[in-house]
Amino acid sequence: MQLLLLAVVAAPVIAFWPKGDQDPDQWLKHVTKACESRRFGIRLAAAKRVANAGAAAVPAIKAYSKDKGRNAVPTSLVDAIADSKVTSPETEVLLRTWAEDNDFYWRSNAMRGLALRRVEASLFEKYVGDSAWLMRTHARLGLALLDEGGKGREAVYAMAEGDPRARVRLARLLLEQGQVPPLQPLLDALADKRSFLGIPWGSRLGLESSKALNAWLGADFPEIVGGDYEKSIGPIVAATKKRSGQDLKLPEAKSDPDYGVVGGFEIASCKFGDQFVQWQADGTLRFGIDGARTAKLPAEQWQELLQQRTALVLEKNAGVVVCDKMQVVLMDPKMRVDVAPSSLPSEASEWLKRLTQRLEEANETEIAADLRRGLGQFEGR
Amino acid sequence: MIRASLTLLLLSAIGGPVCTDPEPVGFPVLAGFEYKEGMTLPKEVTDLDEKVVEIRGFMRREFPGSGPVNSFMLINDACGCMGTPMMNEIVFCTLPENVTMDIEAGIVTVTGKLYVGEEKEDGDVLLIYAMDADTVTGT
Repeated sequence: MQLLLLAVVAAPVIAFWPKGDQDPDQWLKHVTKACESRRFGIRLAAAKRVANAGAAAVPAIKAYSKDKGRNAVPTSLVDAIADSKVTSPETEVLLRTWAEDNDFYWRSNAMRGLALRRVEASLFEKYVGDSAWLMRTHARLGLALLDEGGKGREAVYAMAEGDPRARVRLARLLLEQGQVPPLQPLLDALADKRSFLGIPWGSRLGLESSKALNAWLGADFPEIVGGDYEKSIGPIVAATKKRSGQDLKLPEAKSDPDYGVVGGFEIASCKFGDQFVQWQADGTLRFGIDGARTAKLPAEQWQELLQQRTALVLEKNAGVVVCDKMQVVLMDPKMRVDVAPSSLPSEASEWLKRLTQRLEEANETEIAADLRRGLGQFEGR
Repeated sequence: MIRASLTLLLLSAIGGPVCTDPEPVGFPVLAGFEYKEGMTLPKEVTDLDEKVVEIRGFMRREFPGSGPVNSFMLINDACGCMGTPMMNEIVFCTLPENVTMDIEAGIVTVTGKLYVGEEKEDGDVLLIYAMDADTVTGT
C-alpha cells in the first residue's frame, strides 16, 4: 500500500522532472552536436535542448569550450541560451563571462541574454557606449528593462545613436518585451531603401520593422499583400499611432544619392565595431553605413592612392570567415571579396595603411584611429 | 567534379533546361511571418512549393570552413554577426551532383525549383525551404 502511494505521488514528479538532470556526459554529447553537427537544423535543435537544460548543461559547455576554445562555441548556441526562458545562477555567470570577454565572437549575443534576465545596471552601464552596435544596443536594452528608479527607460531613449540598425533593433527588442519605446525609428525603416556598396541594409531594416510592428499590432496590422509592406506604410503608421498614442510621422523615403562611388570596404567586427568606408573618384571619402560623414583628401595625394588601387585587387576571398570580416569592393576592376582576420595580403594592407595615414594628415585623426584599430586584425600574419 | 565560377553558373545545361520562367520571390514573403515549429505555413509560401523561382540573397556555408561547396544557405542578412537566422529566413540550396562553387561575397540571385515544408530528422526540423539550384548569378 505504501509502495502504491509512493508510486502515485512520484509519477507526476518524475514526469515533470527537468531534463537538465541527465548524465553530464550526455550533455557533452548534446553540446558537441550543437557545435559540430554539419546540419544547421540539427545544431539548432541541439542548442535549444542545451539551453533549456539550464544549469545542468553549463559544466558541459565549459568543458567543451576549454577543450576546443571559446570561439568554437557557435552563435546558435549562445543565442539559444541568451533567449531561453530557462535560467540559473550558473547560466548567468556563463553569459557574463562571455559578454565581458572582448575576444569572444558572440559577446553581444551573450549581453542580450543578460539584458533579458535584467541582471545588473552597473554591468549594462559599462557597455552602453560600446563600439559594437549590437553590444551597446543589448546593454541599453538591459538598462531599459531594469528601469531602475523609474528613469532607466527615459535615459536609454535619450541616448544618442548614429547607427540606424541600432535604433531599429532596440525598438524591436523593447516591443518584444512588452515596452513601447519611441516608435518612429521603426516607421522610418519602412521607407528606407539605402544600401552600402550594393548591400541593401535599408530594406533589411524595413522587413525587421514590419515584422516587429506586425507582432505588436496583431489584428490591427494592415493586410500586406505579397509581403510588400511598402504599399501599406500609411495604414501601418495610422495603426501604430492609434495604438501607441505617440506623435508619429509618415516616414520620408530614403534612397542612395548618386555619389559616384568607385570603391570601398566594410569591416564587420563584433570586437571593435563595424566600419564603413566608400570613396568617390574626386577623393571624397564617406564613412558610416549611411555615408553621412565625409572627408576629402588633397587631390594629389588621392590621385596617387587611386593609381595604386590595384594593390586592393584580390582574386578571391581570403581566409575562413567565422564572425569578423572585411569586405573589399571595387567598381573598376569589378571586385567584391571577403577577408577573414589575419588574411589580408600585404599589398592591400599597405594601401589601406597609406589611406589611413593620408586621413590623419588631413586632420581626420579620430577616423584614422578607428580605421587603424579595425584594420589591424585583418593584416596577414 | 565540376568546379563552376559564380559570375554566371549556368547549370541548366548540365541538369536539364529550366522550362518555366522563374517567379521572383523575396525574403519579405518567405520570412514575413513568425515561424513556429509544426505551424501551418502561410498560403503565400506553400503556393510556392515545387515552383521554379528566383531569389536574391547572401550565400553562407552551412558549416564554417573554406573551399568550394555543393550546397549552401541563402539568407537575407549580409553579416554573420547578426545572429542565428530563423528557419524561414534560410533557403537551403543544393547544386547538382558533382558541381561545386565558391561562396561568393555580396548578393547573388539563385534560380531553381523551391520545395516548401518542414523536413525533419529524428524529430528536429532541418529546414522549411529547400531549393534545387540551377543557376547562381553574382552582382
